[in-house]
Amino acid sequence: MGSLVHIEKLSFRYLESKQWTLSEIELEVKEGEIIILAGPSGCGKSTLLRCMNGLIPHMYPGDYQGSVTIDGIQVREEPMGILAQKVGLLFQNPENQIFMFSVERDIAFGPENLALPRQEIRSRVDETMRLLGIEPLAQRAPHELSDGQKQRVALAGVIAMRPKLVILDEPTSLLDPKTASELVSLIQDLNTRLGITFVVVEHRLDLLTKLATRMVVMNEGRKVLDGKPSEVLSNERVGAYGIVVPSATRLYSELAKEGVKLARVPLAPSELTEQLRRIRR
Amino acid sequence: MINFSNVDFTHQNGVVALRAINLTIDRGEIVAVVGENGAGKTTLVRHMNGLLKPSRGIVTVDGVDTRRRSTAQLSRKVGIAFQNPDHQLFSDTLENEIIFALKNFGFPEETIRQRLDWALNFFGLEQYTKDSPLILSGGEKKRLTLACILAWDPDVIILDEPTVGQDAIQKERLAEVVKMFKSVGKTVVIVSHDVEFIWPLQPRLVIMSAGRVVGDGPARDLMRDRGLLESARVTQPQLVQIHAELKASNSHPFVDTLEARKYITDMVKR
Amino acid sequence: MHWVAGGFVFRRVESPFHKLDPRTKLLISLEFFAISLLAFAIIQVAIVLASVLFVAVYAKSLKRIGRTILMSAGFAGFIFAINLLFGVGLVSSLLYALRFLAIVSSTSIFFVTTSPDELEHTMKWLGVPRDIVFAFVTAVRFIPVIMLDAFQIMDAQKSRGLELEKGNFVKRIRNMVPILVPLVVNSVVRSGELAEAMESRAYGATPKPTSLYKLRLSRKDKSVMLVSLLFFAAVLYIYLRVKVPV
Repeated sequence: MGSLVHIEKLSFRYLESKQWTLSEIELEVKEGEIIILAGPSGCGKSTLLRCMNGLIPHMYPGDYQGSVTIDGIQVREEPMGILAQKVGLLFQNPENQIFMFSVERDIAFGPENLALPRQEIRSRVDETMRLLGIEPLAQRAPHELSDGQKQRVALAGVIAMRPKLVILDEPTSLLDPKTASELVSLIQDLNTRLGITFVVVEHRLDLLTKLATRMVVMNEGRKVLDGKPSEVLSNERVGAYGIVVPSATRLYSELAKEGVKLARVPLAPSELTEQLRRIRR
Repeated sequence: MINFSNVDFTHQNGVVALRAINLTIDRGEIVAVVGENGAGKTTLVRHMNGLLKPSRGIVTVDGVDTRRRSTAQLSRKVGIAFQNPDHQLFSDTLENEIIFALKNFGFPEETIRQRLDWALNFFGLEQYTKDSPLILSGGEKKRLTLACILAWDPDVIILDEPTVGQDAIQKERLAEVVKMFKSVGKTVVIVSHDVEFIWPLQPRLVIMSAGRVVGDGPARDLMRDRGLLESARVTQPQLVQIHAELKASNSHPFVDTLEARKYITDMVKR
Repeated sequence: MHWVAGGFVFRRVESPFHKLDPRTKLLISLEFFAISLLAFAIIQVAIVLASVLFVAVYAKSLKRIGRTILMSAGFAGFIFAINLLFGVGLVSSLLYALRFLAIVSSTSIFFVTTSPDELEHTMKWLGVPRDIVFAFVTAVRFIPVIMLDAFQIMDAQKSRGLELEKGNFVKRIRNMVPILVPLVVNSVVRSGELAEAMESRAYGATPKPTSLYKLRLSRKDKSVMLVSLLFFAAVLYIYLRVKVPV
């Protein structure tokens, strides 16, 4: 699999800020990956996301060092119109990402901005609604949607731009567990069917660890851990970075201290109990 | 302390949000209200300080019918910390933010000073006393809203989705605060989806679904009832799942990882 | 909580009138507007009002337009009283008051039957710059959202002992500060987030964006327009040529 995102020695400092929000970040994302980005509040996650889709430095100027390359193009050099077709960014609150009065029109917003022909917009809107299972909502107004539906519609607006990389900023924080797990299945589906690469900032790890290929942890503007979710979550330093470690994984580390070594790091309760049962036998 | 007797609530547009609620919350209880979005959790707690008044039935706080009092009066006893701090912070300084409610409730000047200092210290916000609440981080804002409520010392504290957007460190701190409330005899009502946060507190669990209370009892019992949890779309805490899958014979599911560790180590070494 | 904001948004109604092109509706509205403005006899204004109500029935929106008329009736009464007070004759005063009602109801025809979406298309068609159209669109789109914000803020402050309904005028005004400050702060934050989301979806990437829908006049629109124009011309002719007793 080819490299999609290549971040090299990226440091960024907002205008009129003394502190560097990002310091020498190195990150490589391969096509088709699903990466969890985690870290305590204020660690620079949101800033890194904005560097990946170009809001930094195009909308927020500041001291910018190093480089971010997405699908072979330099984020710094290309206008937002080009970048928006490579990288989609879904922000935390879907409400503020739905501008138009109907779902259909809102999904069309991005393609309209690209001045695509009407026929092309129509087919993209229909295709996106079908993919995300929101066809029945086409004519709904934003205030007629539930939180989960708003989230899907906002995601649809991003997908209609046909990006290779989609970044989600705490997508499940406003959802109940059932709706959250539906969203996670959707992420998986888009990943397998369209090959979309995902970077997801998330505090709630129980759902995502199952499908994530990697987990990256940031602290104080630096990348501090990077590896498979099981490796990162069983790392002894992880607790210090404000990451909610799933109980099953935490238990694995606790058991190790007692001398009970399990072969694999469990991410879910069943993975833990299965191994325990095997030991007992 | 708080009593719901046969309460229905219907919104102006005809949507029924609560049906036949009977619920008594005693002084000193820790109660967690769970259920999917739209189950009626927020509507329920908004009846506890009179923000909403029942369409049918009676809600009483300390024996007083909420229909006879304004929210401002009821709030003296029942403080609600809403989910989004940005929906309430308005003062020029943290100090003024905290004393706002104390002035509304007519506390004497001297008490106000004492309570202010106590609240700022307790939540580790004293270095910001003269700063604007707007400069605070998300977690600090959340703590400030709690400080605002604790300062007037209500008997009941309601936390609406307290862990949303909070990292592990902030969650731990929150759990500490809840335990402290418990130790001084406060009644705490937590509305949350976050079962992993709720579970170690071992609260009384009120499960809601479609406007009704479908389960009410100790979390250690109700959280084992998979059928009930699934029907209300509530997730089972991981430690309870592990406990159930190990078919552990000890009566209560593991409250924390330490307990689980001990059990499993014994089991493996046996 | 969404019922709170329900009254502030356009409601879809299935009616033959709603299905017309917004420009047709705009034309009809403007014609009625002009007729009421030029009317110089009570009987004329009465005819305009009756025609507006007829259209309202056709558009299945009698209730909403009726409500608009009722709401402006108070102000019409005020116009009547002021005119009477300043020595304008009884009949003329009545005419002014009724004329005001006719103007209000004829404009409401357009706004009650036109979705914000159609309104946006109409503005674009009229040549309003895109940024202004978009500012208008988001303003209307976020009215219900901001209303909800306001209600949540009021709930939060009442829960901190704020008595909104108590005190004299000055006190009540001062009580608004804890409501208005968070409302403004939230709206500013929201507009920042909106700007980010717009940028991220290529807003302004090309000077001439396209649109999923384009306004198209159907044959029905054309005939309705023709009929309404004939009616308008006839009324104007009567205004100019025929002396109607006041």
